[in-house]
Amino acid sequence: MHISDGVLPISITVASWAVSFGGAAYSLRCMKNEDLPKVAVVTSAFFVASLIHLPFGPTSVHLILPGIVGALLGPVAFLSIVLGLFLQSILFQFGGLTALGANALMMGLPALFCGLLFQGIRGKTVLSHTIAGAVCGGLGTAMAATVLACLLATAGENFVGVAKLALAAHVPVFLVEAGVSAFTVSFLFRVKPELLTTGRFRT
Amino acid sequence: MTAHPEIHIPLTTLASIIGGLAVLFVLFYWSIGGKRAKRDSFRTGDPDWSVPTIDAYADRSSFFHQWDPRIKIVSLFLYCFMVVSLQSLCWSTVAFTISLLAVVACNIPFARAGKRLLAMAGFLSMFLLVVPFTSPLQSSETLIYLPGLPGFPFHTAGFFVALLIVVKACAIALMMEPLLGTAPLAVTLQSLSRLGLPDSIGQMVLLSHRYIFVFVNEITRMYRGMRVRGFVPGTNMATMSAMGNFFGMLFVRSFDRTQRVYDAMLSRGYAGQFPSFVRFATTQKDWAKGALWIMMGLFLLFIDRMYGNPFF
Repeated sequence: MHISDGVLPISITVASWAVSFGGAAYSLRCMKNEDLPKVAVVTSAFFVASLIHLPFGPTSVHLILPGIVGALLGPVAFLSIVLGLFLQSILFQFGGLTALGANALMMGLPALFCGLLFQGIRGKTVLSHTIAGAVCGGLGTAMAATVLACLLATAGENFVGVAKLALAAHVPVFLVEAGVSAFTVSFLFRVKPELLTTGRFRT
Repeated sequence: MTAHPEIHIPLTTLASIIGGLAVLFVLFYWSIGGKRAKRDSFRTGDPDWSVPTIDAYADRSSFFHQWDPRIKIVSLFLYCFMVVSLQSLCWSTVAFTISLLAVVACNIPFARAGKRLLAMAGFLSMFLLVVPFTSPLQSSETLIYLPGLPGFPFHTAGFFVALLIVVKACAIALMMEPLLGTAPLAVTLQSLSRLGLPDSIGQMVLLSHRYIFVFVNEITRMYRGMRVRGFVPGTNMATMSAMGNFFGMLFVRSFDRTQRVYDAMLSRGYAGQFPSFVRFATTQKDWAKGALWIMMGLFLLFIDRMYGNPFF
């Protein structure tokens, strides 16, 4: 779920733009020129994933994939998410121009975290990769939902109810995402493991 | 403790209000030529994954088309931020009206801007439905009791807060067409890079934008293949496995293709920059238009803080 324009107070809006700007600058510093095609691929896939709805019981959920973006890109994940969200907002109005910063924080921070985590726990076997994929996929979405709820709650006590609802609505996404990410990562490990090697996090 | 005026709404009134809103929504939907959303038909048939092109009407002529993109971007961007910080419903509605006029003036079919509003409908209706029932009680606000919900009064103060958000969100969403639909995406990105955006970011946006259409084509083909082999999505492990492999395959295929394209670009002399044939020329008219929008934003902000109150 994306935050629209006008929801967050102006101070939070500007602050989240500033932090996202820093995150994107960090990603850019970690990026090498030859990463360009890979970043473009992952950005487009992140965009396209939001179009695909999977049935969950009587309703359907669409995937967000912050975990996969993190696992594939490592430190560059934040930039990729900012660009993906920018494209989503200019083409579909998912999110919005002024809310871009907040949305980038909501999905970019989990992606960065999952990138770090994935490098730490991936191991060397198919099974360990599958588990790492599931953990990153599920955790990425859960963190994104938590950041969303926190951002909404900063907008005032009027929005606490909405924040709780948004958090609850993400539980099915979280389950589906963990499953799909596990299979995607294990597929990539078996078919094209070099896609899973990412750049190093610079300090 | 201050008294809260209470209004009890009979069922018939409530039904007619809801019915009226539903009719309005259907009329709006029909007027922008919306087809039945097929995104959820994943289960039954070919889902609709079509992506609109942002610059389909960039070759027309209007107030916004003839504006130097650099000044247009900066001034409208700042204007959007000023609209976000409005606090009164009355002046936000004025901003919304200005946006409507801007969409009319930019000579792009209204249906495109209308679709943007529809895309936000889900998120915003959640606000309109949830906030009035969950917001804290404020002094001397009117409570409306709906039939069948004795314990959950409808807080009018909460409703106005939610309405303010909806109006502001729509006002800014409408500005996206004048801002980004009135110049080709490449020109918009070029002007952003003149404004200090690193070249590599602009190129990544251009490449990703191109690949989105390629990918949508690809997943449509792959998904058709899956259905031909008897794939029926459901809530089970098999679906997750199939979709996980589907994404994996998408990454493998598209990465190979992108790598080939990138190699081809390198062999044709790509060194981190696309050649640009765009000339930017700023006239006094461009500056005047920029000043006009900034002044409008400042005026709204000023009058909002001076005379606005949270409800009207």
